[in-house]
Amino acid sequence: MDFGWEQTYRDFREEVRALVRKHHTPELQRERDQAGETRRGPLLDAFRDELEQRGWLRMCWPKEYGGDGKSPWYQFVLIEELEYWGLPYGSLSVTSVMPAIMAFGTEEQKAKYLPAIWKGEVSFAIGYTEPNAGTDLASLQTRAVRDGDDWVINGQKIFTSEAHVSTHIWLAARTDPDAPKHKGISMFIVPRDAPGVTITPMYTMSGLRTNQTYYDNVRVPKDALVGEENRGWYITTHALNHERVGLAPTGGLARNFDLLIAYLREKRPAQIEDGAVRLRLAEMQMELHMQRALATKNGWIIASGGTPTGEASMAKVWSSELRYRMHSLAMDLLGRFGGLSRDSGDAAPLNGRLEANYRSAPILRFGGGTNEVQRTLIALRGLGLPR
Amino acid sequence: MDLALSETQQLVRDAVRDYLARAVPFDRVREVERSGRHDEQLWAALHEQGWLGLALPEEAGGGGGTCTDLAILLEELSRRAVIVPVMETLAAARVIEHGAAGAKDILAAILAGKAIVTPALLEESDRFDDIKAAVRDGKLSGEKYFVDYGQVATHHLVAATRDGDIELFLVDASGPGVTIEPLRSIGRTPTARVTYDGAAATPVCGADGHRALVQLGRALAAVQCLGCAQQALDMTVEYVSQRVQFGQPIGAFQAVQHHCANMATLVEATRFLVYEAVAAIDSGAATERQIAIAKACASRAVSEVTTMAHQLHGGIGIVEEYDLYFFSLRGKERALAWGSAEECLAIVAKHIEEPEDWLPMGEAAAAGRPE
Repeated sequence: MDFGWEQTYRDFREEVRALVRKHHTPELQRERDQAGETRRGPLLDAFRDELEQRGWLRMCWPKEYGGDGKSPWYQFVLIEELEYWGLPYGSLSVTSVMPAIMAFGTEEQKAKYLPAIWKGEVSFAIGYTEPNAGTDLASLQTRAVRDGDDWVINGQKIFTSEAHVSTHIWLAARTDPDAPKHKGISMFIVPRDAPGVTITPMYTMSGLRTNQTYYDNVRVPKDALVGEENRGWYITTHALNHERVGLAPTGGLARNFDLLIAYLREKRPAQIEDGAVRLRLAEMQMELHMQRALATKNGWIIASGGTPTGEASMAKVWSSELRYRMHSLAMDLLGRFGGLSRDSGDAAPLNGRLEANYRSAPILRFGGGTNEVQRTLIALRGLGLPR
Repeated sequence: MDLALSETQQLVRDAVRDYLARAVPFDRVREVERSGRHDEQLWAALHEQGWLGLALPEEAGGGGGTCTDLAILLEELSRRAVIVPVMETLAAARVIEHGAAGAKDILAAILAGKAIVTPALLEESDRFDDIKAAVRDGKLSGEKYFVDYGQVATHHLVAATRDGDIELFLVDASGPGVTIEPLRSIGRTPTARVTYDGAAATPVCGADGHRALVQLGRALAAVQCLGCAQQALDMTVEYVSQRVQFGQPIGAFQAVQHHCANMATLVEATRFLVYEAVAAIDSGAATERQIAIAKACASRAVSEVTTMAHQLHGGIGIVEEYDLYFFSLRGKERALAWGSAEECLAIVAKHIEEPEDWLPMGEAAAAGRPE
């Protein structure tokens, strides 16, 4: 058992921090705050370009796919650090879709999409959820029918977040309506600009836009199919396991904790001297360490060549519920000021991060598989309880 | 970063686990509980098997074991609820090893299975830093509470002041001027209030040694919490998988599954933080805050996990012939020992304004702070 980090990871983190120091300017932060879900802008793009030039988003992939064959710990360190600073790195395309294409794609698909993903030329919106297939995802009804060498897709997806700023949709569709529901689903890569794809916005209380996407006789070539026909459920499960790990970094929560302490020290010196307040902060810090423990355990499983199952769900449940608890408590400590948004200017503590996180916190508890489903997965897969 | 036990550690863990399952039936644990003493037979066996020595450093004449090795042994002992002063004696030995030459003879006696040493730190104030016991001219006077295994130990390692500073002293528990009065704690393991009235006291070490002992004891008590929580979780998973109500195992009900998932998550996070803290003691990098966080987490987790274990067991779980109470009662006592969750969180609170490295890599923490 060894909880220490080898020198190579420490050195790498210093490199990441040097890059962060170069790019994380007040101007970039303003640009990011205004960019919303697009995460685009001249400064953000420049950062993303430099990330790509260094090859950091693909350094853990095998050399034959353009990677550097490095230990997954490098990606763990990179993502924790970028999450801490709130810098973009391609999120779900990198943490969820890329691993699935790596594991299930053909050599042609890997050659076509993997470099494009890490260059930022291709990005994916996740097309799983439908109006009548939320948590019961396997009951999805969007159809894909073989027509000669093509597939023709008809149906409707909802909460296709980022579809309006992505180049492609990672789409689950039914290819065998007569098979048991888990065994008739296939995965497709659908260009967003394919004829017949329509995107309509839905604005959410989090301030982020999501979408409904409609597929009206959308024709894609046969190589849009990823993995075997009717084996899509296993691919989504694989992708969701990776996604859950990607959904549970500690960095972003840790930063807000640090900023809260800094704010209290500066603006509320009497309050941070209060023993009752300090005790609540201490409890929050302990729970953050529990989050770090669960996230690092997942990192270790992946770095050892495994795929986390119950552990991924544990980290997802803990981090999403901690996000609510932490920001709600921070707001309570700051009273009415805790509810001020970024639009309030310098009156808003932490530049409005607390109320913004409070508004977006519910998403993580149901997104990526509801926490109820996650707890069931922990029980069934992690503990082996009966069905 | 490698969270797996080494091959040797796995071998030791399995050997201890198998031995305890074979040699210590839970009914014997009940008998020992009633006796108010410790399990002398098991203590002798642990010594014969070499497990006590294995968890001691070579300089102390032991097998070169680290704190992590000791933690692995302690977790197994906790999972069998056995009543032996392993944690107390070996924590004391690790401090004595770095102490004054005059006190080191006791290490050989420990290795020979002839001495049991237990720390005597707390007083009526229940605070590690509030010590009224004092040594003058080599004679100790004062009153200590919660001297775990004090009634079966041959020696006490006592915190007392000399010229105003806290030091540790070794005291022969059977010598004149030592009065031992058993206390009955929720954990049903021996503990005592001890009065020292001019007892002969051998100096061992100063305030640094005292602090080190508190940190080590706290981390090891967290291991004991973890062992109790893990065992309660495992028993619960087994029970709900076979207990049938409404025509199905109750473990197939989602309400039950979700409780189990919450318990498992607490155990998982606790396991990481506790072994991380113990490993940090081994590497010399441990901080007061880190150990306090691990113990606060373990204390909270064991209370929560064992309480939910009872909830899911229902009536059978509270029956004295059923084995669950060992872990809920011992677990709660260990949660209180060496710093309760509240006490540990107060320590974390004390340090709350100090910068912390969120991906701890053993460097200057401030580097990670926002500018």
